[in-house]
Amino acid sequence: MTTEKKYPLPTSEQENIEEALGVLWHQSELMENRLEVILPLLEETVNKEIYKTLISKELLKEENNKILLTEKGENLAKDITRRHRLAERLLSDVLALSSQAIDPNACKLEHIISTEVAESICTLLGHPTQCPHGSLIPKGDCCEKATETIEPIITSLDKCTPGSKGKIAYLILQNHPDLHKLLSLGLIPGTPFNLHQTFPTYVIEAGETTLALEKEIAEKIFVRQ
Amino acid sequence: MHETTLDKVVASQSIVLVGNPNVGKSVLFGKLTGRYVTVSNYPGTTVDVSRGSGWFMGQQHQIIDTPGILSLYPKSEDEKVTRDLLIEERPQIILQVADAKNLNRTLLLTLELALLKIPMVLALNISDEARERGIEIETELLSKILGIPVIETVGITGEGMSDLRRAIPKAQVPTVTVNLLSEIKQAIESLTLLLPPHPAKEFIAETFLYGDSSITIPLSHFLGNSLLSCLKQCSDRSQMVRKRFLRPISLLTLDSRHQKAGEIRAQVTQLTGQIHSSWIQKIGKWAMQPWPGYLFVALALFFMYEFVGVFGAQYLVGLMEEGLFNKILNPAVTKIVEISIPIKFIQEMIIGPYGLFTMAITYALALIFPIVTCFFLFFGFLEDSGYLPRLAIMLDRIFRIMGLNGKAVLPMILGLGCDTMATLTTRVLDTKKEKIIVCLLLTLSVPCSAQLGAMLGMVAGLSWKVFAIWLGIVIGSMILVGWGASKLLPGIRSPFLMEIPPIRKPQFYNLFKKVRARLIWYVREAVPMFMLGTFILFVSDKIGLLRIIKKLGNPIVVNFLGLPEKATESFIIGFLRRDYGAAGFFMLAQNGLMNAAQITVALVVITLFMPCIAQFFVTIKERGLKTTLLIAAFVLSFSLGIGGLVNWIFKAGWIQL
Repeated sequence: MTTEKKYPLPTSEQENIEEALGVLWHQSELMENRLEVILPLLEETVNKEIYKTLISKELLKEENNKILLTEKGENLAKDITRRHRLAERLLSDVLALSSQAIDPNACKLEHIISTEVAESICTLLGHPTQCPHGSLIPKGDCCEKATETIEPIITSLDKCTPGSKGKIAYLILQNHPDLHKLLSLGLIPGTPFNLHQTFPTYVIEAGETTLALEKEIAEKIFVRQ
Repeated sequence: MHETTLDKVVASQSIVLVGNPNVGKSVLFGKLTGRYVTVSNYPGTTVDVSRGSGWFMGQQHQIIDTPGILSLYPKSEDEKVTRDLLIEERPQIILQVADAKNLNRTLLLTLELALLKIPMVLALNISDEARERGIEIETELLSKILGIPVIETVGITGEGMSDLRRAIPKAQVPTVTVNLLSEIKQAIESLTLLLPPHPAKEFIAETFLYGDSSITIPLSHFLGNSLLSCLKQCSDRSQMVRKRFLRPISLLTLDSRHQKAGEIRAQVTQLTGQIHSSWIQKIGKWAMQPWPGYLFVALALFFMYEFVGVFGAQYLVGLMEEGLFNKILNPAVTKIVEISIPIKFIQEMIIGPYGLFTMAITYALALIFPIVTCFFLFFGFLEDSGYLPRLAIMLDRIFRIMGLNGKAVLPMILGLGCDTMATLTTRVLDTKKEKIIVCLLLTLSVPCSAQLGAMLGMVAGLSWKVFAIWLGIVIGSMILVGWGASKLLPGIRSPFLMEIPPIRKPQFYNLFKKVRARLIWYVREAVPMFMLGTFILFVSDKIGLLRIIKKLGNPIVVNFLGLPEKATESFIIGFLRRDYGAAGFFMLAQNGLMNAAQITVALVVITLFMPCIAQFFVTIKERGLKTTLLIAAFVLSFSLGIGGLVNWIFKAGWIQL
């Protein structure tokens, strides 16, 4: 037995870099690139040295008091953001963690998810476009392919077309009374369903139960086709 | 078996019918007690508890029908009614009524009911539909697994009823248990230590654990107030325990129970054949789709107009009023009274222009009775066929504008039968905001069947424009006011979620019984009010008060609304009963005292006008005095305002009739 691990966990420096790039990506989404704003933010969320580290690793450059990601930096930032937001989706949709628990866990997960795992999660979740907080999830290769070739494995019911069949995968847990009602009505994970129509309301047949529901609820029901 | 001893235990005790919505509890209740309660093919018809009695094995038992529940951990008011009854009264026997084809859901509830430790019997009802769909259940095996008698029944035809009667005295406390997660088990155990002795301790602890402390109220009724501090302590402690769990505990236990229910179902059911999709189910599917669903809606409206408005309000009313009352009864009664009672005052009280017979009884029985009979027949047919939930789907989009969802269709349509009854059913709605909006709209814009019938009678023979204007204004006001209220009132709209029952052929016998029960209710409710109203008019007329009121009302009725002076009377009695007011206008129109424009104004005002007294009181009961008074004040000013506006438009000559 060797004590050396075959697949080492990311070092803390690597984690810090990824953390910082995540912050920078989010700032760029907000169209913020002024040095006087970004620098204190990085120092606060990561540490004092991180700015220099990023510059030295050629992930970042400064021009006229504006901070810009290099191409390498941008790719890495996009990737880490994607992993973080996918992790959030996974934790909230599939593992049904409470909203307070999602963020700290997603922060840890993002560093250990490999690109392949990220693609699998993305496919499992049906290539989601938004994180639970509503920010955009950067697209990966798998998403580009998915739109052309394969159907997502898991989609929300509101995206299904009338006549589609499959099984209930999971329900999102935001509205408790409704969720409870759905479960007591027999819409439990694994139940085969048949989507009848989507207008004027959604009508779904699950087992011996026929249910009419609005889009708001259909959005929270995820199914495997 | 110790049947004799069991019989003694069961003597003069209560049996509670519990089950999922729309599984036929009320039908079985009727069969067991001989008492009729409203039965329909619509989930949530029973919103209150009904009590009756029945005989089993030579003993009389109290039998209680309850609103349908999905779970013993209530999510809505009507579910709470059932839970509270079970806790507060702790009946001797629970008869769980189930939809045989939906065993998963049934067993989920059985597993929860088992926690109460009350002897149970399970009736697998509607078993004919299950067989049709090729589902066969081994009842003996199921009975062994659950530890309670299991009987297959078909409530409507009475199949299996004698077996059920024999099984009820043999009720047993279920022996089936569910393995919950060990952390949850521990949490429940720790909470039970704080509770006073009670057979259903675990259930109570679990309820507290979910953060529902409303169970304290029925418990304190059962245990006495001295134990309140105990319960409070338990509730506080449960809050601490709850924090330890990341996921809602109720979902974790639901998961465990679902799993168990699924296992049992797999053990006892066999799928024997293919599901046949009959033509009746095809119609059920079509009725939900935009095409031809909206055509169905239009057809339903058209048939209602033809059946209630034309056949009832014109043909039948004609027969009753012209034929029976005016030609035979009224002259005969007049003769008899004139001969037998010599006092002029009393003569006039009975047969004068405001006579108890010539006005009240004639209005109630000749004008209104045929109309409500037709409406109840029509409505009952829709109810029993299972069309109403489909109508809810079709109208959901419109109801969304008013801050409601399709669920509100039931109270609103029922309001076309009787607004008082409908106000009671607002309990099926989810949020307080929706309840208030529906109460407001029922008061404002939903005419009851009797009123509607009288009004359809007024429209008949006039230009279609009158009908169109009236319908446009009423529906427009409803949507506008509903929209406004949804914006002004705090709270949120809940999304539409409704179970859709299969389309069933209405059973003629059930339909007949339902219509009869509603008619008896109607006559009891309406005739005394008609009498009272007439009597008030009679006295007011005699002492000259009527003239004064008419004078006072003149600026509004004659000048502002442009109606004949006599219309004031109809408004006064309209306060007592809307249909009575409408009947007054109907007579005015029939006697040629109003022109088309006036009829239009009258129709609009009387439709939008105040609620009748009964509805007023029921609204107070459901929504409180303050809300009710606000609603009434708004409705009164709104209806008169719109009436004035319509009158003004006619006078200005913008619309020619």
